Amino acid sequence: MRLGPQPGEEIDREQAFTFRWNGAAVPAYAGDTIASALAASGRRVFSRSYKYHRPRGLLTASYHDPGCFFQVGDEPNVRGAHRLAEPDMDVRSQNTWPSLGFDAKAVNQLAGRFLGPGFYYKTFIRPQRLWPLYERVLQRFVHAGQVSADTPRIAVDKRYAHPDVLVAGGGPAGMAAAVAAARAGTRVMLVEEEHRLGGHLRWGAAADLAALAELRALVAATPGIEVHTNAVVAGRYDGNWTAVVLRGLPGGTEQLIKARAKVLVVAPGLIERPYVFGGNDVPGVMLATAVRRLIRLHAVKPGQRAVVLTANAGGDAAIADLREAGVEVARVLDARAGEDIVRVHGHGAGQHRGVRGVQAADGATIECDLLVTATGWTAPAALLSMAGDQPAYDPRAARFFPRQLPENVLATGGIAGDGSHEELIAHAEAVGREAARRAARLRREWQAAVPTRAPANGNGHARLPADDGEPEAIPELPVDAHPELFRASTHGIVDFCEDVSSKDIISAVKEGYDSIELAKRYTTATMGPTQGKIELVNAIAAAAEATGRSIAETGTTTWRPPYAPVTLGALAGRPLEPVRYSSMQPWHEAHGARPLIAGAWIRPDHYGDPAAEVRNVRSRVGIIDVTPIGKLDLRGPDVPRLLNLVYVNKWSKLGIGRVRYGVMCTEDGVVFDDGVTGRLGPEHYLMSTTSSGAATVWEWLENVLQTMHQDWAVHITPVTTAYASMNVAGPASRDLLLRVTEGVDLANEAFGYMEVRTGRIAGVDGCVLWRIGFTGELSYELHVPAGYGLHVWETLMDRGADLGIEPFGVEAQRILRLEKGHLIVGQDTDGLTRGFSAGLDWAIKLDKDDFLGKPELAWQHEQNGTSGARLVGLQPDDGSLVPPEASQIVDGPRIAGRVTSSRMSPTLGRSICLAQVEAALAAPGTQVIVRLPGGRLIGARVTDHLAHVDPEGSRMRV
Amino acid sequence: MSEYPGVARSPIAPAPPVRVEAGWEVSGSRSDAPLTITDCTPLAKVHLRAPWNGAMAKALGVPFGRAGRDLEGPDGVWLVAGSGPGEWFVFAPPGTAGLAGGWLGTLAADSAPEEFVSVVDLTHGRALMRITGPDAAELLARLCGADLHDDMAPDGAALRSAVAGVATDIIRDDRAGVPSYLLHCERSSGQYLFGALVSAGESLGIGVDGFRLPGI
Repeated sequence: MRLGPQPGEEIDREQAFTFRWNGAAVPAYAGDTIASALAASGRRVFSRSYKYHRPRGLLTASYHDPGCFFQVGDEPNVRGAHRLAEPDMDVRSQNTWPSLGFDAKAVNQLAGRFLGPGFYYKTFIRPQRLWPLYERVLQRFVHAGQVSADTPRIAVDKRYAHPDVLVAGGGPAGMAAAVAAARAGTRVMLVEEEHRLGGHLRWGAAADLAALAELRALVAATPGIEVHTNAVVAGRYDGNWTAVVLRGLPGGTEQLIKARAKVLVVAPGLIERPYVFGGNDVPGVMLATAVRRLIRLHAVKPGQRAVVLTANAGGDAAIADLREAGVEVARVLDARAGEDIVRVHGHGAGQHRGVRGVQAADGATIECDLLVTATGWTAPAALLSMAGDQPAYDPRAARFFPRQLPENVLATGGIAGDGSHEELIAHAEAVGREAARRAARLRREWQAAVPTRAPANGNGHARLPADDGEPEAIPELPVDAHPELFRASTHGIVDFCEDVSSKDIISAVKEGYDSIELAKRYTTATMGPTQGKIELVNAIAAAAEATGRSIAETGTTTWRPPYAPVTLGALAGRPLEPVRYSSMQPWHEAHGARPLIAGAWIRPDHYGDPAAEVRNVRSRVGIIDVTPIGKLDLRGPDVPRLLNLVYVNKWSKLGIGRVRYGVMCTEDGVVFDDGVTGRLGPEHYLMSTTSSGAATVWEWLENVLQTMHQDWAVHITPVTTAYASMNVAGPASRDLLLRVTEGVDLANEAFGYMEVRTGRIAGVDGCVLWRIGFTGELSYELHVPAGYGLHVWETLMDRGADLGIEPFGVEAQRILRLEKGHLIVGQDTDGLTRGFSAGLDWAIKLDKDDFLGKPELAWQHEQNGTSGARLVGLQPDDGSLVPPEASQIVDGPRIAGRVTSSRMSPTLGRSICLAQVEAALAAPGTQVIVRLPGGRLIGARVTDHLAHVDPEGSRMRV
Repeated sequence: MSEYPGVARSPIAPAPPVRVEAGWEVSGSRSDAPLTITDCTPLAKVHLRAPWNGAMAKALGVPFGRAGRDLEGPDGVWLVAGSGPGEWFVFAPPGTAGLAGGWLGTLAADSAPEEFVSVVDLTHGRALMRITGPDAAELLARLCGADLHDDMAPDGAALRSAVAGVATDIIRDDRAGVPSYLLHCERSSGQYLFGALVSAGESLGIGVDGFRLPGI
């Protein structure tokens, strides 16, 4: 029933609309939550409990209400006592079948004795072959909504923030602390979980509303406070890295703010705790704060005739509110005077279920339709626990308090103590000022550490103000006595979300799960959507009762982030997937290249027919975009010393214009990269690496220079993408380059194999030409200033048309290099392949003074090739069979090697491979057995050379 | 056979209309949005390494973490950024990289003959873009975790961070009192970074403003 206008109400009676609840129209006002509108329309049952499908109504009328999880449109698990109603909303109950009113799954109650705590550890285990059936059955009873696969995905950018002071909680203490901190000159972020600032003042009496208005005005008028309502601090991590989740964005999405706060002020208030007794989950049992919210904020009459069990001023205030709202208060049971209740009697079934009477401890039974309890407060200490605190229980106050907080975390408000409004505000203001003082000190320290701060007068960095001020004197807050009230003489529900009763927890303890952590996991108490906020202390009390220990001795469970549910969408944000393109990418796309994703690079895999591309390179001329090849510019007099250290071969005598192939090994002799390095000038070299190794090799070299040889004069500059790189390969490649190159004599006698020149190509200066090749043909690798890459490529394609130029992609290149027997590090080697196992005997110069990996390679060499694997060329006996890469090579029952590279060779018209085999099988001519996936065995022969085509290398030296 | 070198291209596809400026294909788009992004890749970009506290560092006059326009080059305005300890980037008008590199080499020879100094032209190796507007820092806060408040990164700050997952140099270079940031990354990620900034800036009303000489 809707009441008349209430002072401080948050509904707008000028904006009336309807929404649908399980198909029926429900009236609402702007500012109503879904649950308050339903309650105003006379509905009492909003959901069914998790396990037993018992009818549930409003309990807390807040975000944490366990009876109000709804499906709203295609959004499941909406907190109906927090989500604001909107016109034409489609709201449905969850996990009820066929309806909320008649839920067939309530049959679970009949099986209650078999569904006790931990039943899933004792059932649904055997026989194992029935697990798929068990899964389908359990899915039917899972208490969750539904997500449609067609729900449009809205990506919301995350945001980084750097507040000096982050205040978690926008009640009176939070607001006062924020204002004080901002007035002290710091940047403040104020985060409040509810839709409006104010906390408990919002549903208070006239004095509270006046204080609320004053504080809200102060917040609005104070510069430097960034306010977020309907938002939550979901987690606090090391260094006050906090996750702030903004809710209620368009489309029901959430946004994650990653805030690095210098100081965190925790002001979450207190959460009212339910009382445990028989029937405590019958619709019509509510907390005092729930009825006050309904009456004051939403003008909803929560019942007709009430009984109130009160133990504190909140309960007393609820009594006054009820009377003012026209609810008959039939009986007040004052727990401070020793009064108590035994159980609630319900009546009706399904959606008509509700309270019909209360049995008091003195034997009286009072007829009523509403029972209000005010039996204690729980401190939401999650953020403090995440900051490393282990709150201490005070039996005098019947709640936990912070014990020891780190320097960058402060607490204020109800979580810190009690007192009058003035005392709480004074405490909060002092905390705010102290937070600002500590934050300012940190800001100074960080400013002093960063080189980016503004200089004082151009001659150095600004002098910063000296440290300041004495710590703020924070007054002590009194702690009000409160009776310890957890359970009546009967058993009732402790965890409303998980349908766990006090009896369940006591049973668990008696079964041996006698710590709160064990009891929690065995019963799942506090593991539901409310995550312990309203049930933790009652669970601890039940465990304490069962063990005979005190609550302090029992302790708490560990609060872990997130404090509140966060959508995966908020955590994901906008997908950031860096992708890299070469300068010629537009040409590749326009000419039908099939893309290959190679790390972050998009490369052309082929242009339609890799075999034809191979044949064209062997017979005419092809061109491939090899821009991703790592390129490092090395300068300095000590470059040769660096090259000698990192490569296995010798570099001291490399002349200007000469190129050498090099292999790098790690300290354990394992091959980790290879490439060619050319000398462009007296102290200028250009190193190439594998595409995937570009960053790793750079790090590797810098590691040497920065940790082993800081005295060496070498500068390394990555130039991988400063050059667009292309390889022109094939018998006609020189003819083509003659048409476009200036300043370089391309004759074989002047520019031989493994040499490098600089010159002009297609009118572009500053190009580097390498006479090298991966394909086994006459070829030139061209490095062109990247901005001109597309121009040079197009010019070559144009000028080479009559020579038969065609592009070729990564696949054709792999075939060509396999025909030539060139290994690919990481393909033909693995994390255990040392240098002599990779066919690199010719390159490894053990007579060098030292190089990275030398001791291990020397040891390997001493084994005379009898240990470890060897890289060999392989040809299957049946040339039409192409063994899949990684096929095993077997010797009887043993695995003796594997195929590392395998393709059909267009040049030879048969399959060819490279393989790692045991040394005993590596001699040329050896017959080996290859085991194909599926088990079939085929024969193959070890070839004389790694190269299957032109092993002498004559084609590339013309 | 002297070939016209053709036009140079940025890794960032230019928004139409497309024209050629100083030998570079650029966007002719104009925007008066409160927040704009401009592809400044055509600018000359020269990378210099020298001892972080030596004579060359002093001659450059810009310490690590700061950027300035006090170095008088042969043809006017250069922006010098102290990108890392012993590492600087020099930004100059398009087509002047050779001139800048030569001049810096001479400066090194004159000011710091005993020091090991290297100069590498990275004009083609870096994608460079500028975002300008009161919400420029707000835009960056969506993609970058660095604290860009005035007290940590005021006008003239130079830092290296990750923007949209890409290693990016950031230089705060305000224009007539309006917050403005130059960002540069290795070339091949340029299109991706530019696109990420435009996407993240949509709700802030970002507009693409084409490159105009001198650009620095």
